[in-house]
Amino acid sequence: MGQTLVAKEIRGHLLSFRFLAGFVILFVVVVVTSVVLTGDYVRKLDEYSARQAELDRYLRTYAHFNRIGGVLRPSQPPIPFQALVRGLTADVNMEGFDADPLPVMFPLIDLVSIVTILVSLMALILTYDAVSGEKEDGTLRLMLANSLPRSKVILAKAAGAGLALAGPLLVSLAAGMLVILVHPRVDWTGVDWAALGLIVLGAGAFGGVFLLLGILVSSVHRSSASSIMTSLSVWTLLVLVVPNLSPYLASFLAPAPSRIMVARETERLSDTDRDDLVNKLRAEYRGQVLKDYPVLAERLTEAEVKKRVAEDPEYRQAFEANRAAEERALAEGNRIQSEKIERIRTALRRKEAAQTRLARAISMVSPLADFSYLATDLSSTGTRNQAHFADLARLWGQAFFGDYRTKKIADLRSKDPTADVWNTAVDMTDAPRFRYVEEGLGGRVQTALPPFAVLLGYGIVLFAAAYVAFIRYDVR
Amino acid sequence: MIGTIVRKEIVSNLLSYKILVVLLLMVLLTATSLFVMHRDFSARMADYQIIRPKPGQPIAVVPPNPLSIFAKGLENAMTRSFEISVIGVGVRAGQSSGNVIYAFFPAPDFLYVVRIVLSLVALLFGFDQISREREQGTLKLLVGGPVSRAQVLAGKWLGNFLSLAVPFLLVTLLGAAVLLFDPNVRFTAGQLGRLGVVLALALLYMAFFLSLGMLVSALTHRAATSLIVLLFAWALLVFVLPNLGTLVARQFVGVPSVRALSEKRQQTWTREVLLGISKGGNWVDRMRTVSRENDLMEEDYRLKFDRLVRLSRTINRLSPAAGLLDAATGIAGTGIDEESRLKAEVVRYKNAVLDQLIADQAAGKRDSQYPAFVYRPRALGQVFADGALIDLAWLAVFNVLAFALAYAGFVRYDVR
Repeated sequence: MGQTLVAKEIRGHLLSFRFLAGFVILFVVVVVTSVVLTGDYVRKLDEYSARQAELDRYLRTYAHFNRIGGVLRPSQPPIPFQALVRGLTADVNMEGFDADPLPVMFPLIDLVSIVTILVSLMALILTYDAVSGEKEDGTLRLMLANSLPRSKVILAKAAGAGLALAGPLLVSLAAGMLVILVHPRVDWTGVDWAALGLIVLGAGAFGGVFLLLGILVSSVHRSSASSIMTSLSVWTLLVLVVPNLSPYLASFLAPAPSRIMVARETERLSDTDRDDLVNKLRAEYRGQVLKDYPVLAERLTEAEVKKRVAEDPEYRQAFEANRAAEERALAEGNRIQSEKIERIRTALRRKEAAQTRLARAISMVSPLADFSYLATDLSSTGTRNQAHFADLARLWGQAFFGDYRTKKIADLRSKDPTADVWNTAVDMTDAPRFRYVEEGLGGRVQTALPPFAVLLGYGIVLFAAAYVAFIRYDVR
Repeated sequence: MIGTIVRKEIVSNLLSYKILVVLLLMVLLTATSLFVMHRDFSARMADYQIIRPKPGQPIAVVPPNPLSIFAKGLENAMTRSFEISVIGVGVRAGQSSGNVIYAFFPAPDFLYVVRIVLSLVALLFGFDQISREREQGTLKLLVGGPVSRAQVLAGKWLGNFLSLAVPFLLVTLLGAAVLLFDPNVRFTAGQLGRLGVVLALALLYMAFFLSLGMLVSALTHRAATSLIVLLFAWALLVFVLPNLGTLVARQFVGVPSVRALSEKRQQTWTREVLLGISKGGNWVDRMRTVSRENDLMEEDYRLKFDRLVRLSRTINRLSPAAGLLDAATGIAGTGIDEESRLKAEVVRYKNAVLDQLIADQAAGKRDSQYPAFVYRPRALGQVFADGALIDLAWLAVFNVLAFALAYAGFVRYDVR
């Protein structure tokens, strides 16, 4: 009996205009996006190797240790997944003069945005009248007059819609993948395929949430016209509003001081404030030294001081105590100020981390954000990859500035002890170069689990609510 | 006669469940958006008070633009501080945050609400105008009366437009009025005028989606079909086309990446410093070489980038949402062209500062005082001439076309 119901639902969807329209649009958009993104990826590959060649030329002739840090900055090469998911590796650059403002205005489209917008919209369109539509047609009465439990009916509706949504999604994606793989320069490894499989699974869960939302709303409303209004409003809030508002809300609830303000404050602490403190400490320490060595109270010119230091051992002792006190004052001042600075910086980091966590938690109310996090982390284009990249960069930094630089400088000094090793051109083409390796799948899956769990939880809650609403539905 | 139809539409809208949902959504979102973006602006203002240069410092910073509360655009990039030194322009302080979640989703400014939510709402008002009345049987009666179909259509359009536009304008103006209580948000008369133009654009944009809804409604016999067509069309026009368009344009215009440019800059100045140390010679020449090479690179990049922007604009004209975004950010002074112009001004300022630095050093003068950086945003007329007028005209054409086609569809509509 259950099979008949599911088959009926699927037939109903397959024959419907909305299914056809959704399928065609999904297919065309996925294929076109794949073509364009693959082209973009290949262009990025070329650009990356051109940049590396340029860098090699520089390293051969002009590299010198004093200013190499800015030149040899680790940069992320394009990864094959960028033909599908663009993630955070955009060209938006707020740290330097060069910035590409286009992606700020028009966030570039990729698989994530297609799935989040088109698939969720299609899911709602498939199910917004699942119950209310059948009531309006009068078929709901007939169906329930038979010995059919309502639980079976609603289950069949969910299953039928799920299959009707999975079909177009998988077919379009397969076509898109074909476009990508036909390209000779795109190499997908087994890990990439596994990650893609998991992303598709996440997309399924994401689509399922909206199917169930549609079924729930339709079994709350008497008419399809109001059902679509409610579903679209909820969709707008969940997909288009909550994620965008989340960082702003978090900055309101968990404020962090502005980085500009903190930078100004730490600059002041290490500059004028430090000088004031050192002067104060110096006066204090010298006061003590003066008590111990009253000879210092005499006012002498520099030449006289020199003379007396050479002649009078007692004065010399006093003089050295005084110098030690001055050095102590400077060291103490530096220590106190850098502790203060470190405290401020730690507080800033802690507050920013708390704000980010809160923003992420708020945004995870939205299935769109859940899916975005899941997909970007699985495809190593998300925040987890940023941390991974930073780790790799640190390791490279140790290899370069630690081992390599020390060895090279020793070499240079052994050849010519008087050489200015910092400002001499050194052929650095043999230096360890930054090499980006994607993180293993295990860690990525771990990060993707919480958003996936939220999606599943959404699914279960929505299904339960839809079931309850349907049980109480007045079929007349 | 038309007045009666308008009144009927407004009354029936007022009694519907639809208006309740839609108004709630619109009021809630507009108010939240203004509140949130105002806070964002205040944070920028506080940062500006810290980084604004003291007299004589060679630093270029423009104050935050209060219109960015409505259309944020590239405001974050424009309010950074550009500090001039012998090696070029350094960006020392930008309003950056450790909160990476900002990077995931676009800013929910007023323009975002208009572009996405208001268009959806307008569609929801238009999609069943004709097919629903047919399904209910009232269309027959309506057309059977002494009214022409043109009048029916115009009346329906006007009635629905008013039911949407009036609450929308009320919320927005109320929000703007509340903003004026903040002493930091000082709108000049010109800026208020610009805000008015942005609002007019928003209304035109909304009118297009209303007409589009009525058009599809006049071509289909069932409201459900009309809605499905419209929702997919909306998703394509608002989300897919603009974002795909810029990506497609990149296939045809090669633009060096941001990374390539900054790497090149680093290589240029470190090379010249090294040559200066090892070979000796005149430091002024080295400085000039760095400056010239960077300027050439920048100029080349600007040429290519402008071509990219032009092409992606042409492609994006297919979508009124992209046109609205370009025109409204342009008018608000936070658009792509404005940012380009600001950067060109910064480069010019850098060259002036370098000239003075070199002259002062030759004269043995210490503690040079540099003139302040002054940036005048483009005048409204210039913004229109640079493309906003085309966007505006294009939006109007879209409107007229959609309404005319809706009329053609309705005239041939089988009311039975």
